[in-house]
Amino acid sequence: MTVLADHQVPRMTFGRLVRAYLSDAKYESLRLLRTPAFSIPILAMPILFYTFFGVLLAGSRAAGPMANLMFVGWTVYGVMGPGLFGFGILVAVERNQGLLTFKRALPMPAGSYLSAKLMMAYIFAIVVMAMLVTAGVTLGHVTLSARQLLTIAAVMSTGVIPACAVGLFIGTWAPASSAAAFANIVYLGMAFLSGLFFPLPPAMQAFRPIWPTYHLMQLAMASAGLPSQGSAWGHAAVLVAVSAGLTALAARKLSRTG
Amino acid sequence: MADGGDKVAGALARLAGVRKRFGETQALDGLDLEVRPGELLAVLGPNGAGKTTAIALLLGLQRADAGEALLFGRSPHDLAARRGVGVMMQEVVLPDALRVHDLISMTRAYYPGPLSLAEAITLAGVGKIADRPYIKLSGGQKRQAQFALAICGRPRLLFLDEPTTGLDVSARETMWATLRKLVAAGTSIVLTTHYIEEAEALADRVVVLARGRRIAEGTVAEMRAVVARKRVDCSTVLDLATLEAWPDVTAAARQDGLTSITTAEAEAVVRRLLAADPALSNLEVRRAGLSEAFAELTQEAAP
Repeated sequence: MTVLADHQVPRMTFGRLVRAYLSDAKYESLRLLRTPAFSIPILAMPILFYTFFGVLLAGSRAAGPMANLMFVGWTVYGVMGPGLFGFGILVAVERNQGLLTFKRALPMPAGSYLSAKLMMAYIFAIVVMAMLVTAGVTLGHVTLSARQLLTIAAVMSTGVIPACAVGLFIGTWAPASSAAAFANIVYLGMAFLSGLFFPLPPAMQAFRPIWPTYHLMQLAMASAGLPSQGSAWGHAAVLVAVSAGLTALAARKLSRTG
Repeated sequence: MADGGDKVAGALARLAGVRKRFGETQALDGLDLEVRPGELLAVLGPNGAGKTTAIALLLGLQRADAGEALLFGRSPHDLAARRGVGVMMQEVVLPDALRVHDLISMTRAYYPGPLSLAEAITLAGVGKIADRPYIKLSGGQKRQAQFALAICGRPRLLFLDEPTTGLDVSARETMWATLRKLVAAGTSIVLTTHYIEEAEALADRVVVLARGRRIAEGTVAEMRAVVARKRVDCSTVLDLATLEAWPDVTAAARQDGLTSITTAEAEAVVRRLLAADPALSNLEVRRAGLSEAFAELTQEAAP
């Protein structure tokens, strides 16, 4: 089989490999930005809701701790969206449509499909946070220092990973036709039941720790030195466990069905 | 290694004894196929012959139930093997919010030494649609865009599954011209088609599939000769050696007193038979078996 040397195709340099990953992330972001059904709810809803509920309805009565709490809550809601929907709906639809088939025939690097979506989720989450911070500081009576805001933003951006994991789990297990419904139910359900938008009645508070959104919110509050519940390490551990567990379940499903 | 080994090594892509079943359908039934360096191989066959499945196996999109698929001597699941391959599939979904030049850039990035964006656009002849979103393209324009994606990685081996379906005449001519250019530059191409004319216009070698098997293989000239072949049956006293010596006779055989002559020139042979043997009887002229297969193909392809 020595003649096979003739068959060797040019090797991908490390630089070109990195560029392939970055290019996939770029075009994934670009195409979703150009898909209003995705970009409008993801980019516009958090800032609209926050402005309406957190700024206009709450007014100056909410200045101080209450304003800060609402700001953090809506930010959790905002950063969870891109990952949850980017994976939750798109993976289900693309598995069904055959977009993945074409990409599998191409020499797309392993993992680039998922890493492109992850990077897209980060980019969208950062844009959402930038809008919320701007609104919170200028209109929302948020009384956080720049240092606290940066800490919150940094912690929040790690929240993209559990959001993607929840989305990936939905995207791999839900049928394409109902993945959008599942993603919406999970998204809104998590947000309400973990008390992101308003304080829950005492009876429901005990169940908040079921939801990763609750842990992300508490972790962000604790990191910025705001009043929080539970231990920061505990919240971080839950988020890591949720991410790892759901990704493993999704990977199992993907490896069986492709 | 002996001849067999050289043969394996000489092929860029190879299916050996491949069987693949989808539910009740035996899509491939012991298929052997080999793509040699620098050739344009046309794979002809009616719908359901197994053409698309054969390509899917060579691209690693399907796994064979039995037999072996090799791409550049490796498994098609090996990313390194697929880096030498460009592909245009029949049914494909692309991220359609992207413009054609975005799609080309995205695809180029997967290859080690691709064409530049400008080269790919020129070579595929998609200059006019490069800035348009894929979703706004007509069916034929989508095929042209997919063709650009297939060639932009400067592949050594190109798989084109019915590439000209849905193209108008001028777009088809452009694609044919590009394919000839690519072959001249050393690219190997596997092209599946319904149309014998497309194979005649482009191919160095033709393989005919039917019901998941290879039923014929050869150069375009050989295939044309096979299509033209007829079978002449008769009862005659002329001996086989004499018949086989006649210029137009390809082969002659005798069974149960009936002589069968294979020829491309049935009229000339019959005329000579009747002259040489006035007592000749049971004369019957038929198409050869393979041409029946071709006739089936052309009927299938007829609009």
